Amino acid sequence: MDNGTSNSASENETITLKSCDGIEFHIDARIANRYTLLNNWNGGESACIPNVNGKVLEKVLEWCEHHINDPQLNCGDDDSRRRNTIIEEWDENFLSCDQDMLFEIILAANYLEIKPLLDLGCKTVANMMKSKSPEEIRSAFNIDNDYTPEEEEQFRKENEWAEDY
Amino acid sequence: MASKIFMGDMPELMEKILNNVNDDDFYSLYPCALVSRHWCKMSIPILWRNPFLSYKSPLFISQYLLSLDENEKSVLKEYEINVKFQNTLFNYARFLKILNLISLASRIYQWINHRYFYWNQSYELLRCHIMNFLLKLIVENGAIVHKLDLHFADDELQSEILHLFGRNERFFSQLKELSLAGISRLSIKSATALSENLARNTTNISVLNISEYYSGYGPQLLHAIICIIKSQVQLREFRLIGEENPKEFHGIISALESQKESLEEVTIAYCNNVRILETCLNTLEINSSLIYASSLVHILEKSGKLLQRINLESDGGKICEESLLLRTLKSFCPNITYLNISCIRFSTQFQDLICNLQKLQFLMLQNINDILAEELEEEEELKMRVMQFAKILPLTLQYLDLRYSGLSSYIDILLNNCYAPLKTLLIHHIDGKKTTKALIKFCIRKRTLNYVSIDSVIDNIEKEVEGYIKVVPSHRITVYC
Repeated sequence: MDNGTSNSASENETITLKSCDGIEFHIDARIANRYTLLNNWNGGESACIPNVNGKVLEKVLEWCEHHINDPQLNCGDDDSRRRNTIIEEWDENFLSCDQDMLFEIILAANYLEIKPLLDLGCKTVANMMKSKSPEEIRSAFNIDNDYTPEEEEQFRKENEWAEDY
Repeated sequence: MASKIFMGDMPELMEKILNNVNDDDFYSLYPCALVSRHWCKMSIPILWRNPFLSYKSPLFISQYLLSLDENEKSVLKEYEINVKFQNTLFNYARFLKILNLISLASRIYQWINHRYFYWNQSYELLRCHIMNFLLKLIVENGAIVHKLDLHFADDELQSEILHLFGRNERFFSQLKELSLAGISRLSIKSATALSENLARNTTNISVLNISEYYSGYGPQLLHAIICIIKSQVQLREFRLIGEENPKEFHGIISALESQKESLEEVTIAYCNNVRILETCLNTLEINSSLIYASSLVHILEKSGKLLQRINLESDGGKICEESLLLRTLKSFCPNITYLNISCIRFSTQFQDLICNLQKLQFLMLQNINDILAEELEEEEELKMRVMQFAKILPLTLQYLDLRYSGLSSYIDILLNNCYAPLKTLLIHHIDGKKTTKALIKFCIRKRTLNYVSIDSVIDNIEKEVEGYIKVVPSHRITVYC
């Protein structure tokens, strides 16, 4: 029997993924193949995903399912010429979750090596920083300012050329 | 509590996020660097990776000058530029990753203008001094460049700098992208010396662009370029643009034989040169005044199923032996996902090819000859062909660019008969209410179309299609080969 690890997995095949808090997900084997979710599978009844909890894994799988038919980029195909600068509406809505969940999705995408989802998450966070002042960024991401006034002044002096005025 | 991504636990992820900030808007990085000391530490190397992007202010040059040695400072003093010793927060020169000689020259020019408010002929020498001082500073401070744009104009690099490049093997050791262009008569010597150096010290270049290549460059530079090509471990992308058909092209293209295992993308002006290309490609781009199918047959047959992206742009208004080209593409290249073709006829054979490309995702048509020349006299016949064309579009097609096709008046027929799940459509103009209606009907029927770009926008179109699609400028959604 094909256990779903081959590239020719059919639509009807399912495999079971288990999150770190023991929640099981029965998914289309094509999703597991496409996004290499079986890296931690040791041949048992289900593949464990040790670093991702059920709530986050559910979201990640939702994204994978939606994008199962997306064109695959070549290995190392990072060229910006081939990338749209637009985040599609479905993805935008998908990542309009609370900030903790957004960062969890990024961490999970990084851990699971789902590059398009990782890129999307990073781009979404980057968009949250654009056109914001340092104070607004600190407040948005809960960061403390640990600059001394002297350091801050020197930094401004040395890098004023990069300020948008 | 802040995410661990921003607390220093996952620097690679924070770097990725900040790279995204920088990619879209260079000036958004400065406030990020002011958030905290850790954010500063993460942002500064990105900000100074390519400070030449800062088109508003050339003052980063002043920061570089602070680190010059005493001899160099005394040269500047002759121009009443007093650079005092000052410790900086970072060794900024070390962060440089992208070096573009023409940007460097123009920012120095901008900096001198900013300082003196006018340009005096004597400043030309000052500009050359500063250029050479900065190159020396960057090399000596341990910068390792990833991308190098050598546009020489009339600047002759000092031989001291060329020797410095030669002595510091690390400077070019991780070079991934090299562009060579604009070599003037005065700079052939520098370009040759630098190219010889690059041939000795680089092995990791994956993208090589040679543009504005002319036959007068001489055998030494040609030999150095051939050596660069041959000394790379894995050249992936290659572009060659210049004078039509100089015999030197032959030598350069023959050298690509050594890269046939890794070469994936080739862009060549004047397709006669492709005839001798002996490699399998996944991307082929030809920009030529005339495209001769017989020159392409060999490479298309050789690339076969591997070929995924093809861009054939002719500004001479014709593809010679069109039938041969279509036949070859249909027989040998079924896996094309991206097709941009110009100056083709809207023939049954062309439609057959499109029908056969069952993995096609991106299609751009430009200057459909018989439509623009109004050779298809019967309007009804043309409408019938558009209808057939719409029906045979592959079910994988997501992106259709018809802006310059000549089909603008028939978009309604196309949309009313299209089964392909288009996500993005680029058109030149909306031809009356019938097109708007067809757009809305297509959205309701297929539920896939998200973005439409209309070059010539009618005032209220956005309101009419609101809720169905987003009308966006073409530059935001254009996908290149």
